[in-house]
Amino acid sequence: MTVAAKHTKALSARGVAVIGRLNASYLAFLALLIVIACITPSILEPAGFMNFLRRGAPLAVVASGQLFVIVVGGFDLSVGSLITLTVMGSALLINNDPGKTWWVIATMYGIGLLAGLINGLVVTYLKVPSIIATLGALLSIKGLALAWSGGSPQGYLPDNFRQFGRLTLHDVPGLGVLPLAVIVLVVVVAVFTWLLHRTNFGRLALVVGDNAAAAALAGVPVRQIRILAFVLSALSAVTAGILLGGFSGVSTDAGDGFELQSIAAAVLGGAKLLGGRGSVPGVVSGALSLTALFTLLNLLGLPKPLRDAVQGLILIAAAAYSVRRQEWSG
Amino acid sequence: MTDVAVAAVRRRSRESMTVAPLLIVSSLLAYCAAAAATGQAAQISVDGFIGVLQRSVALGIVALGQTMAILVGSIDLSVAMLVSVAAVMASWWMQGDPRMMLPASMLVLVLATAVGIANGLLVTKLRVNALIATLAMGLILQGILSASFNNFAGSVPVDFQVIAYGTIGKLPFSVLFMLVLTGILGLILSRTRFGAHVYATGGNLEGARLAGIKTERIIIAAHVLSSLGAAITGLYLASRLRSGAPWVGRDGVYDLESIAVVVIGGTMLAGGRGGVWGTIAGVILFGSLDAIFTMIGVDAFLKQVLRGVIVVAAVAAYAFRSKGQGA
Amino acid sequence: MNANPPPRLAMQNIRKAFPGVLALDDVSFDCAAGEVHALCGENGAGKSTLMKILGGVYQPEAGEIRVDGVPIRFHHPLEARRLGISIIHQELSLLPDRTVAENIFLGMEPGRWGVLDRRAMTAGAERRLQRLGAAIAADSLARELSIAEQQIVEIAKALIFNTRILVMDEPTAALDDAETERLFLLVRQLRDDGVAVVFVSHRMPQVFAIADTITVLKDARHVATRKREQTSVDEVVRMMVGRELKDYYPVHRLGERVHPILSIRSGGNDVIDGIDLDLHAGEIVVVVGLEGSGKGGLCRAIFGATPFVRGTMTVNGRDCRPTSPREAIHAGIGFVPDDRKGEGLALHQPVIENALLALRGLGRLLAPAGSARRRGERGMDELLRDIDVRAASYEQQIRLLSGGNQQKTVLARWLALSPPVLICAEPTRGIDVAAKAAIYQLLRRYTDSGKAALVVTSDLPEAIGVADRLMVMHGGRLVGSFPAGASEEDVMAVATGHRRHLDLAAFPLGAVSA
Repeated sequence: MTVAAKHTKALSARGVAVIGRLNASYLAFLALLIVIACITPSILEPAGFMNFLRRGAPLAVVASGQLFVIVVGGFDLSVGSLITLTVMGSALLINNDPGKTWWVIATMYGIGLLAGLINGLVVTYLKVPSIIATLGALLSIKGLALAWSGGSPQGYLPDNFRQFGRLTLHDVPGLGVLPLAVIVLVVVVAVFTWLLHRTNFGRLALVVGDNAAAAALAGVPVRQIRILAFVLSALSAVTAGILLGGFSGVSTDAGDGFELQSIAAAVLGGAKLLGGRGSVPGVVSGALSLTALFTLLNLLGLPKPLRDAVQGLILIAAAAYSVRRQEWSG
Repeated sequence: MTDVAVAAVRRRSRESMTVAPLLIVSSLLAYCAAAAATGQAAQISVDGFIGVLQRSVALGIVALGQTMAILVGSIDLSVAMLVSVAAVMASWWMQGDPRMMLPASMLVLVLATAVGIANGLLVTKLRVNALIATLAMGLILQGILSASFNNFAGSVPVDFQVIAYGTIGKLPFSVLFMLVLTGILGLILSRTRFGAHVYATGGNLEGARLAGIKTERIIIAAHVLSSLGAAITGLYLASRLRSGAPWVGRDGVYDLESIAVVVIGGTMLAGGRGGVWGTIAGVILFGSLDAIFTMIGVDAFLKQVLRGVIVVAAVAAYAFRSKGQGA
Repeated sequence: MNANPPPRLAMQNIRKAFPGVLALDDVSFDCAAGEVHALCGENGAGKSTLMKILGGVYQPEAGEIRVDGVPIRFHHPLEARRLGISIIHQELSLLPDRTVAENIFLGMEPGRWGVLDRRAMTAGAERRLQRLGAAIAADSLARELSIAEQQIVEIAKALIFNTRILVMDEPTAALDDAETERLFLLVRQLRDDGVAVVFVSHRMPQVFAIADTITVLKDARHVATRKREQTSVDEVVRMMVGRELKDYYPVHRLGERVHPILSIRSGGNDVIDGIDLDLHAGEIVVVVGLEGSGKGGLCRAIFGATPFVRGTMTVNGRDCRPTSPREAIHAGIGFVPDDRKGEGLALHQPVIENALLALRGLGRLLAPAGSARRRGERGMDELLRDIDVRAASYEQQIRLLSGGNQQKTVLARWLALSPPVLICAEPTRGIDVAAKAAIYQLLRRYTDSGKAALVVTSDLPEAIGVADRLMVMHGGRLVGSFPAGASEEDVMAVATGHRRHLDLAAFPLGAVSA
């Protein structure tokens, strides 16, 4: 064996396996829960915990979708405005007529699909950086929502729409209560986990984010994969909008902030900002950590606008930490 | 390969300088066409053109700062919030007192410098992605501002309003200021060592570093200039609106539009190429479009929708040509 | 009696290791002022690493560097520059959107109080360029210059720093004869001015034209240092390769001359023209050419990455002229790119994922991830083991593997798909010797199963060793064709354009010598 080969063998034996690494966000979540429990012990009871999950579900859902865009190397800053559009548009269209709920929901998903497609096409075919493309989409979608509604919340959401956010099943064996929102969350997380970790698409998405040129030269349909990522992100935003409209009601800033929060959640959950790494459970845990943090700040009496400031700090900290961690692991 | 004659004849293609006049001319032509088409021929006058320029001042000054950030290969998405902060803090510190005009303005500029340094440090020392770092900074600024103020705060003394409303003959003071600022920055970029280092840092970070250029300082300086641009616009808006409110930055969409205008003007997002004159041309283009929309009578919210589309289209036109990454 | 002054440059007992590979093992290297010292060796012998250590980019684990007798330790390339060590890399690093003068004076712009003195810059640049005998306008943009002119600008830039030691890494790769001669004039001039010039190259004719002393590195070790008059090309090449060529390369075969698997007629695009090429089952055809000959463009055209716009192409009788890699793959063509790290690998992904990439790319997006891995009778894990890809685990990130194992993984990607035509660009670049031999054997086995392989390489000895048929490109055209066992001189003569007037008809399957 040559000298070089011997060294290879020795060092390979010390190679680190990627899967199974402890994720900081799990620890963060646990720590935050404990702190909150000190103030409000009810959070550790099934009812309290379920309630917490219900409130955290929209962010977790949208963050899971955002993850796909981050994994392929982009950002989707339009998710917040899409949530707002979903909430306001649904209220306008349904206008308290429960019979319309289902087709309106279908329409909203259609709009989301369209938005995701357009984002994806603009980024892949027009080669506009995703930051700019989705910021532009944010502007346009928000403008659409405002133009459509005339600038203020119109219409009303009936109960069969709001049930997704509000309904809670009682007398569930073992858990006691089970909000519908949590069921939706679990379903979404399951589907997205399968997509990212168990399908060709997911593995290819990771490679595309890592080295799109190499992927293209190996015959990978890079464009399709990127477009699909944007579509998933948009669809998850619509889902989150339905949940949010359920328990928060209609407002013109329903979705504000979700774009940056979802990115922060992804980074907290171990995703690499320029693509090539990420996990759905990690993102969900990151999102729940953020929700826990906001809950904590709320309990401590911090006014809402300052939450934004705190969130900005967290985003920076998470991004800086992510860079450091990459350097350590080489 | 090397032909003496050919080499001697080769001259630098001043892309930034050829793009600019082209943009300005086409903007003005479109403006005139729209005015004629909608029967508002009165707009085709010196006053009309000056009006376009005047409406461009706010975005223009922010865009000048943004140009510096993009030239070094970075970007600044905190400008919108900084505009708000500057406007609010200026009017709040002034409280209508003429004696406070100068100190308040100075304080605002100092604050902006601090923000710029913070942005620069985040990008260079903590190596956070510039997009994330400046977006997050904007978020922090927004949070602190909204927590402290939720409406117009304080007021601006009458004397201060001369910035927005004063004229020298027919030319508004603010437009003159913008053009002078452009000239100064243009000179800095083309005639100083700092300018040369800005281009080098944006063009090839490693190469610049290997040549001994202190790239970190250059990037921080660029971010400071960007923040100062935002602050000056904030001061201008406070002067125009007679007071500052926390939503002026947001409403003006200064972050996205400043980037779009810089890119339209020929400065590459990757850095290392472009200049301020192109940016001003881009700003005039946007100002003209805005005027055209007003003439046609487009709804305010629809304008926003169109703005988003135009921004993306403008960047696409350039990105498409230069074969971007596609993510 | 004075002792001899110490050599301008003395590197002693340098040792440098990277994860997985020992790059330099107790290497010593001297260069005197006013000497042109050539540093030769195959890819991976250690030349680049040694020069990067000299340039302050890497720090050695052991060993000492002395400049004019004074021991030095560099922690940053800037320190090396300040001591008068200038390195001109193969990859030119000019700022494309800045002028020549701005590039030359980068970091040292003359001026007062921060204002540039443009007149001084232009004058200074013109002075330096004149001294180098170049007619380049100081205010042209770097992007407007040819490669040769850019190189001269790089040298001018190096000279600003009062260079005492100048290292040139493969400087003639992109130059034609006239430009190379001009470069050599410059080098001689610098030598006469007292500069110590280190000339890294493996092009023997040039080494012997310009060097006073020649040092050979092989497998991270110093082999020998000779004065040019005391050695010959044969001896140097033997020291570089160090083994009987016939043991190293696989057996040659004559391809089946019935129907070609791949056939191109009059293929052309921006960079290549008039391509007439046939590939038969069972043969390894190697295409050689110097830098800029278009051989890289040929690969990419066949694979649809930068497609042909003229001419016809058939694979197994079916007309196809792929306009994208996906089309090419569906038509039955595979491609191993030359830039392994930039275009071949997703460095932070597991080895197995890199290997499965092409399979996955063809598969349905929503198919389960595991299905690709288990495809075929053997499955990917076994394939990787079969071709001896060494890793602690195939879930490991591929960047942790040695170059040889990385390349084998890329190859495995295509072996799994088994396309009738496999194109490999620089398949053994940057790989240790054992892995090189392994890859040749893999290619042989592949073609023995009825496929055709097209290998493109800049490594002439390798080309001659591996090829069943050898084709030469120059200026974007195929200008020569040789059977196995051609001589280096003949091939090089055609590759450098000396025999460009003779067309393919004169080279049916045999070489014309003299």
